[in-house]
Amino acid sequence: MFKKAFLSASAAILVGTLTAGSAMAADFPSKPIKMVVAFGAGGSTDTMARIFAKYAEKHLGERVIVVNKPGAGGELGWTFLANSKADGYTIGLINSPVVEVYPFTRAETVGYSMDDIRPLVNVVTDPGVLAVKADGPFQTLTDFIEFVQSHPNEVTVSHEGIGGDDHLAMMSFANKTNTEMNMVSFSSNAEATAALLGGHIDAFEGNMSEVSAQINSGTIKALAVWSPERLDAIADVPTGAEQNVDLIAAASRGLAVPAGVPDDVYQKLVDASEAVINDEEFKQELVKLNMPLNPIYGSEYVDFLQDSHDSLKAIWDVNPWVKD
Amino acid sequence: MDNVLIALSNLASIDAVITLLIGTLAGMMIGMLPGLSSTMGVALCIPITFNMPPELALILLGAVYVSSVYGGSITAILLRTPGTDASIATALDGYPLASKGRGSEAIGMATLSSLFGGTVSVIILIAVAPLLSKIALAFGPQEYALLAIFGLVTIIGVVSDNPAKGLVAALAGLALGLVGLDSFTGVPRFTFGHSELFDGVPLLPVLIGLFSVSQAFNLCIPAEAGVLKKDSIVNVHGHLPLISDIKRCFRSMARSSLIGTFIGALPGAGTSIAAFISYNEARRKSKNPENFGKGELEGIAASESANNAVTGGTLIPTLTLGIPGNAVTAVFVGGLTIHGMIPGPDLFTNFADITYTLLISLLIANVLFAVMGIALSKYLVNVTKIPGSILGPIILIFSIVGTYALRNELFDVWLAAAFGLIGYFMERWKYPTAPLVIALILGPILEVNFRRSMQISNWDYSTFFDSYLSLAIISLVVLSVAYPLWKAWQKKR
Repeated sequence: MFKKAFLSASAAILVGTLTAGSAMAADFPSKPIKMVVAFGAGGSTDTMARIFAKYAEKHLGERVIVVNKPGAGGELGWTFLANSKADGYTIGLINSPVVEVYPFTRAETVGYSMDDIRPLVNVVTDPGVLAVKADGPFQTLTDFIEFVQSHPNEVTVSHEGIGGDDHLAMMSFANKTNTEMNMVSFSSNAEATAALLGGHIDAFEGNMSEVSAQINSGTIKALAVWSPERLDAIADVPTGAEQNVDLIAAASRGLAVPAGVPDDVYQKLVDASEAVINDEEFKQELVKLNMPLNPIYGSEYVDFLQDSHDSLKAIWDVNPWVKD
Repeated sequence: MDNVLIALSNLASIDAVITLLIGTLAGMMIGMLPGLSSTMGVALCIPITFNMPPELALILLGAVYVSSVYGGSITAILLRTPGTDASIATALDGYPLASKGRGSEAIGMATLSSLFGGTVSVIILIAVAPLLSKIALAFGPQEYALLAIFGLVTIIGVVSDNPAKGLVAALAGLALGLVGLDSFTGVPRFTFGHSELFDGVPLLPVLIGLFSVSQAFNLCIPAEAGVLKKDSIVNVHGHLPLISDIKRCFRSMARSSLIGTFIGALPGAGTSIAAFISYNEARRKSKNPENFGKGELEGIAASESANNAVTGGTLIPTLTLGIPGNAVTAVFVGGLTIHGMIPGPDLFTNFADITYTLLISLLIANVLFAVMGIALSKYLVNVTKIPGSILGPIILIFSIVGTYALRNELFDVWLAAAFGLIGYFMERWKYPTAPLVIALILGPILEVNFRRSMQISNWDYSTFFDSYLSLAIISLVVLSVAYPLWKAWQKKR
C-alpha cells in the first residue's frame, strides 16, 4: 500500500516535471526576459545590447529588458548571470576574451566558472587595430617593427587595461615579432586616442569601432587590423597577415544563459537570435555603429570560447600578466 | 551662415519645441534625483532617439545633458543632497543659505550662473572649438597629474577652519581612493575579497551616503540632538538675488565659466575638478574668504557657472576630434554615429546644419532651464518647510532607490548606508566631508596619471618639468599654496 502510494507519487512528480518542462518550452516566453549587461549604460556593449533587445522583442513577442550590472570589469554581471534562475528568462551579454580568462587570472576570488554559463550566440567581433599618428614617423607595420626591434622598451603603446583584449593582443604581438614595448595602461580608448593625437604616446592598440572615425578622417593611421580579412569600415587598412604578422585579436560580444537552461528553451533562444541577426534593419544599425557582425551559433560558439581560453591559458601559464 | 539659418528653421518646428521642453524638464528631474546621473539620463534617451530624425535626437540629448547638470544644484541647495559630484561645491554654500531661509536667493544665483556658464561655453564652442581642442591635446599624463594636484589644493581652502580635522578627512579620502584593482598590474588592493570593490570604492554611493543619507539622519533625529536647528528654517522668503549681489559675483562667474569650458575640453579631467578649482579661485580672490562654506552666494556662482560651462567644454573635443570629453559625451558619440554622423571635422562641413541645430538648441535649453528653474524655485523652496521627520525618510527612500539603480547592486546600498553613518558622525564631531570627497575623486586621477607619466618616462621625474604647460600648472599650484600663507604672514606683522 505504502509502496504503491510512493510509486504513484513519484510517477506524478516525474510526469509533473516533464510536462512542466515541455509546457515551459511550448509557451516560452510567456513573461518579459531580462538581459544582463555587465558594463555601464552607454558603453559599446550596452549599446549593442539595447539594439539587440529591441529586435529580440519583435522576434520573441515578449519584452526584453536591459539591466546594467557593471563592476569589476564585467565579473559582477557574469557572476550574476551564472547564478540566475536557469529558465531562459535571464540572458546576458558576454565579452570574449575577458569572460573566459577571469576564471584563471582571478582564480582565488572569481565568482563564476565557464561551466556555470552556456554560450548562446556570438553577435559582434570588433577586431583590434594598431595605430599611430598620421603625421608621425611610421608609415607601415614593417617600419614600426624595425624601429621597435632596434629600440627595445622605448616605444610606448597604449592599451585599455591589464588583461583586456588590447593588452593581450600587444603581448602576442611582442611575442610574435620578438620585440619589447613599453605598454601603458589607459582607462578608456578616448583618453588613449587623445594621448596619441597629442604625441604623448607612440602607438595605440584598441578596437576598430572606437577609432574608425579618426582613421577615416586621416588624423590617425592604422598600421594593421588584427582580423583574418580586411574590414569594410576601414577598407584601406591591411591585415596583420598581409604584412607577415600572423596575429588575430578582437573583442567579441555575444549572448549566454545560465548553464541549466532546458535544451528546448535554449534552442528557442538560439533561433530567435538567428532571426534578429538576419533582420536587415538590425544589420543596418550595426553597420552605422561600425560594429562588425560575426554570428557564431550554439555549440560552435562554445568551441570558439574554449579555443580562445586554451590559447590564452597557455600564454598565462608561461607569463602571467597579473603578478603579485 | 546658411547652416545657421537652416538650424534656426529646424528649431522653429513644433516637434523641435516639444522635444526641447521635454528634454529640459526630464533633464532637470534626472539631475535632482540622487543616483540618476547625467550619463544615465543621456544613455536612457539613446534608444528613444533611434527612430527620430537626427536633428531632433541631438536636441533631446543636448537638452537632457545641460539641464541635468543644472538640476543637481537645486537639491544640493535645498536639501544638501547633490544629485552628482558636479554639485558638491554648490552644496557647501547653498545649503547654509537654504537653512537660513534664503533658498530662493541661492537657487536664483545658481540658475543665473548655470545659464551664464552654459551660454559662455557654447559660444566658445561655436567660436574657437578647433583651436581649444588642439590645446587640450597638449595635455598628457604629466599635465593631468599636475592638474589633479592643483585640484587637491582646493582642500586647503575648504578646511581653513580646522586644518587638522580637514587633513584627517582628506587622508581618509586618499586612502579610500587606493581601493580596487591596480590598473597597472591588475592586482586587487584592499578589496577584502569583494569583487564589488574591484573598480574602486564606487563614488556615487559614497556621495549619496555622505551627503544625502547623513542628511536624512540629521532630519529624522530631533533638532536638539542633530546638527540642524529646526526652527531656523521657518522664515522662508521668495527673494531672488539682489542686483548688487549679481554684480559682486560677476567676476567669479566669468572666470569660472572660462575655467569650466577649458577643463571640460580636457578628456580625462572631469566635471568636479572644474567646480572645485573655480570655487577655490573665487574664494582666493574674494574679500571675505572666511564666508565661503557658510553661505556665500559667490561660492554658488563659481561652482555652478563652472559645472555648466563644462557641458559646452566637453563637446569641444567630442565634436571636433571625435574624442569624448567625459562619460556623457561618450554616450553622445554613440547617439551621433547611430544617425550616420561621424564625430570629427565632418560635423562642421557635411553635417553642419544638424551640428548648428544642436549648438543653437543648447543655447535655448540653457534659457529654458533657467526660466523653468526660477519659476519652480518659488514652490520648491517650500520643501525646506516640510518637517524633518517627513522629509528625512523621503530623502532616505530616494537615496536607497537611487543607489540601487546605479548598478543594481545591493552592496552599494549598504555602502551608502555606512557612509551615511560616517557622514552623520563626521558632521557631529566637526570633521568636514568635502575634503574626503575631493580626495576620493582626485586621488585616483593623480595616481594613474602619475604612474602613466613614470611609465612613459622610465621613472625620470624631470618629465614633469618638460613642457611649458606643466611649468604653468606648477606655478599655479605654488601660487595658490603660497598666497594664503603669505597673506597670513602679512596679517601677523
